[in-house]
Amino acid sequence: MAVDDVPLDEKVKKTRDLLSSFYSQDTSQNSAPVNTTSRFATLDTINTTSFDADQYMNLLVQKSNMEGLLQRHVEMAAAEIKNLDTDLQMLVYENYNKFISATDTIKRMKNNIFGMEVNMEQLLDKITSVQSRSDGVNTSLFEKREHIEKLHRTRNLLRKVQFIYDLPTTLHKCIKSEAYSDAVRFYTGAMPIFKAYGDSSFQDCKKASEEVMSVIINKLQDKVSSDSESIQARAEAVMLLKQLNFPVEKLKSKLLEKLEQFLEELDLSKEISMDSANPHESPDEGIESDSILPLREVPTREFVEVVHAYHVILPDSEQQLVKLVHDFTTRHFEAAKRQIQEQISSAKLSNRLRFIWTDVLLIDEVLPEAALQDFAFEAACVVVKQYVTSSFSHLVHKISDTLLQIQKDGLGVEYPLMAALEASRNTLIQGSIKVLSDIRNLLDEDLGLLLKFRDMIVSWVLEGFQTFFKQLDDQLLLLSGKNVPTDKVPPGLVLVMAQLSVFIERDAISRIIEEIGSSLFGGSYEYGGSVFVPAEICHTFRSAGEKFLQRYINMRTQRISVLLRKRLTTPNWIKHKEPREVHMFVDLFRQELRAVGSDVKQILPQGLTHKHSRTESNGSTSSSLSNTLRDNRSNTNRARSQLLETHLAKLFKQKMEIFTKVVHTQESVVMTIVKLCLKSLQEFVRMHTFNWSGFQQIQLDMQYLRITLKDNADDEAAVEFLLDEVMVAAAERCVDPSPLEPAILDRLVQVKLAKTMNQEPLAS
Amino acid sequence: MQGGSTGIGYGLKYQARCIADVKSDTDHTSFLTGTLSLKEENEVHLIRLSSGGTELVCEGLFSHPNEIWDLASCPFDQRIFSTVFSSGESYEAAVWQIPELYGQSNSPQLECIASLDAHSSKIKCVLWWPSGRHDKLISIDEQNIFLWSLDSSKKSAQVQSQESAGMLHHLSGGAWDPHDVNIVASTTESSIHFWDLRTMKKTNSMDHSHVRSIDYDSKNKHMLITAADESGINIWDLRMLKAPAAELPGHSHWTWAVRSNPEYEGLILSAGTDSAVNLWFASPSNEELTYDSVYTSTAKWTESLLHSYSDYEDSVYGLSWSSREPWLFASLSYDGRVVVESIKPHLPKKL
Repeated sequence: MAVDDVPLDEKVKKTRDLLSSFYSQDTSQNSAPVNTTSRFATLDTINTTSFDADQYMNLLVQKSNMEGLLQRHVEMAAAEIKNLDTDLQMLVYENYNKFISATDTIKRMKNNIFGMEVNMEQLLDKITSVQSRSDGVNTSLFEKREHIEKLHRTRNLLRKVQFIYDLPTTLHKCIKSEAYSDAVRFYTGAMPIFKAYGDSSFQDCKKASEEVMSVIINKLQDKVSSDSESIQARAEAVMLLKQLNFPVEKLKSKLLEKLEQFLEELDLSKEISMDSANPHESPDEGIESDSILPLREVPTREFVEVVHAYHVILPDSEQQLVKLVHDFTTRHFEAAKRQIQEQISSAKLSNRLRFIWTDVLLIDEVLPEAALQDFAFEAACVVVKQYVTSSFSHLVHKISDTLLQIQKDGLGVEYPLMAALEASRNTLIQGSIKVLSDIRNLLDEDLGLLLKFRDMIVSWVLEGFQTFFKQLDDQLLLLSGKNVPTDKVPPGLVLVMAQLSVFIERDAISRIIEEIGSSLFGGSYEYGGSVFVPAEICHTFRSAGEKFLQRYINMRTQRISVLLRKRLTTPNWIKHKEPREVHMFVDLFRQELRAVGSDVKQILPQGLTHKHSRTESNGSTSSSLSNTLRDNRSNTNRARSQLLETHLAKLFKQKMEIFTKVVHTQESVVMTIVKLCLKSLQEFVRMHTFNWSGFQQIQLDMQYLRITLKDNADDEAAVEFLLDEVMVAAAERCVDPSPLEPAILDRLVQVKLAKTMNQEPLAS
Repeated sequence: MQGGSTGIGYGLKYQARCIADVKSDTDHTSFLTGTLSLKEENEVHLIRLSSGGTELVCEGLFSHPNEIWDLASCPFDQRIFSTVFSSGESYEAAVWQIPELYGQSNSPQLECIASLDAHSSKIKCVLWWPSGRHDKLISIDEQNIFLWSLDSSKKSAQVQSQESAGMLHHLSGGAWDPHDVNIVASTTESSIHFWDLRTMKKTNSMDHSHVRSIDYDSKNKHMLITAADESGINIWDLRMLKAPAAELPGHSHWTWAVRSNPEYEGLILSAGTDSAVNLWFASPSNEELTYDSVYTSTAKWTESLLHSYSDYEDSVYGLSWSSREPWLFASLSYDGRVVVESIKPHLPKKL
């Protein structure tokens, strides 16, 4: 059995264990099989519930021998039974002892409980009396307590009233100590009361405090507006004002207005500073600019700060501020535009743009909502474009001014036309180069603003050149007096313009293309598909050159024409007196031709020996002098046959073209003018009728011209021919054509020649 | 001879300056021309274009006293015309009637209907009432402008009214406004004056010097064409007289005569002392404003030289459109050669 292994040291415990093991089915159930199976296969049921003592016994008896049985008996009876007995005994004793002690305790309890009830009754009595007394006290104190509470309330009320009465003073104090936030808190605290009783009890007080508050509001406003205050203080002030239900919007708009005003003033001051901002270019203004230059940066900084401050302190003000900074930038660019109109250098412009860009970046930092960079780009585009356009239009004006210089001081120079041509050529080339280098400088500036539209600038410049030449052409046309009376334009000017046009066509365009290539494209310039079309401009100026030359010739011939007209229409030719001398109109005629000669010698190249070219002719006429004169000399009755002869002569004589194409050479121009004038002379003669003296006068004048015109005109044949034609016309229009005797003719011419020879040295 | 001559020629015996279209001859294309010979017997030729249009036939040859400086045909009677003639010293003007021709061709005498004999200075031209049967005539001399009332049956002409151009002006020619018959334009050496015939007062004037020839545009009533010695041909808008509406370059030398086509608007013919006749086309452009027109006020016009007839030996002074066949014109050069040309080959397609 398992019990055997249990140590017997602790008596009680052992007993209990034994008992429990004895009575417990579980233990025996678990242990019994282990023990029995080791010895008896069939005897193992002893500890099970199905244990049958008889059966067990039978089985035991049947199976074991005597010895075995005896041994078994010894095993079970000897030790186990003894142990069980003693344990049982001990248990009995213990239980008994416990019973006894319980009895004792009950006895003692019975004795102690006796006096208890009496005490309890006493206690109850005492408690009741205490309660009644406390009730008494309570009732007696109740009135006093209420009174006290009332007094307390009154006191509080009084304190509040006091506070309100003191409010103005408090507020004053606050003002003194500049504790505006406290003041505002006090005032807003008092507001409900003022609202409730302001019209009655606290009228004065309300008024007083309102007055004070208005002072505070003013102060706060000042604070908000003052730039010396810190941004936080100002923001706080705005908050306080808002708490006071002060119309902040109004204040805001006021502030913004002020800012606007400030802006206006700012830009004006900038104008001044910018105008003299270049000490290098205007050393005379050095002192002035030195004093102004440091100020230059300040206003913008200030402005930026103010904008920043307003952005922080004024809620919902972005829109206005954005508008303001846009205005600011626009103003900047307007200033730039104004300067461009005043013709500034590229350095100045880039300076200006740099300033603007700096400002823009500054503002952009504090007010990114404005998208000022983009705005500035657009504005800069416009400004730079304007700059390009205005540079070119200035150039046009400069050239026209240079040309017009002839009229002013042309007399002082020995060769006014040459000087003017040189000057205008130089102006053109230098001006174009300057424009290009200006643009170059502008592009070289490492300016963020300009980098973005570099290509656009280049294309503007090309476009600028195109329009520049067109404008120049128009300007020249205008100067040539297309729409003004001719006598107001000096013919020399027109000739200069003709040569200038030729120069532009032949040299200037290619020079400028080179310049464009080198300064804008860093190499050669391919103008295919570009807005600048040199071929077109060349064409324009080629035709302009021809036009101006034609115009010059027209102007000169018109002057001579007036002379001739006067000469031919004034006298009554039919009653003319015998010629005594060469008429003075030839002097005037030659004088005009000399003027033409001096004009063309200055600026026109000398041509090759001029030959008539048939193909270029657009008109023709032929001479019939010899026949007519010869016939007329002797016979006036054979007129019919004479005319026939004239016709025949015309058929056989080589035709002389008089109206040939004019080219830009000295000889061509002079010859054209001579030819036109002689042709006019012929036409004038044809419109009159002469008597023989009139005819002789014409003969004499023509003879003189025949000799003297050789100096002016290189194409003698043409001159001879035309003079003959005049003679023919005169003969035809003469009632009685009888020429002067050659001797007389010669003498009169010689007299005139001698006279002129004497006069000319004096004149020159 | 240069180039191929396309015109039909007719030779006068002497030099000549004037040729006129016989407007009232509706059956034939006829022209009247008179010679300018100081010393010879002058003639008036009535030339008719043959029915085939291939040659010019002399229909009548009439001797005329003195050289003829101006000749105008009566718009309602093909037998009546006026001339201005000079004996060298003095100028006269007369209205003539061609006698009925009864087959004989030996120079019959012209019948003088009326002598416009009120003039005292150099007579410049005679203008007929622009169209239709009307008895009014205008004659212009250097000093005065006369309005005549002509009675062809009574063979008399009365001065209705006259007005002096003023001391400073020497009249040189004129044109009768076909659109407003009360207006006559006259030219002086420095300006053009417009006269109202009802009051005989100048109503308007514009400055343009040395005008040789003046003609109203037959279609556009606001347009006036002038030709001047050196400044070529100008087209004026009568509503804006400050500056010409358009300018044509004219001729290499003087532009002597200018005529607008009676039928086709914009066709202008000019004759010059450079021995050429130019045919122009000029009309207000309907196109959008071009670059040029923005800068020059005159460029709203398209102008072009359609053709230059240069087959002449001398200055061309006489020029006249045919009113019956408006694509024909007759020109007369100083050497007495009449050339009738057709402009048809040179017309732009759109006409």
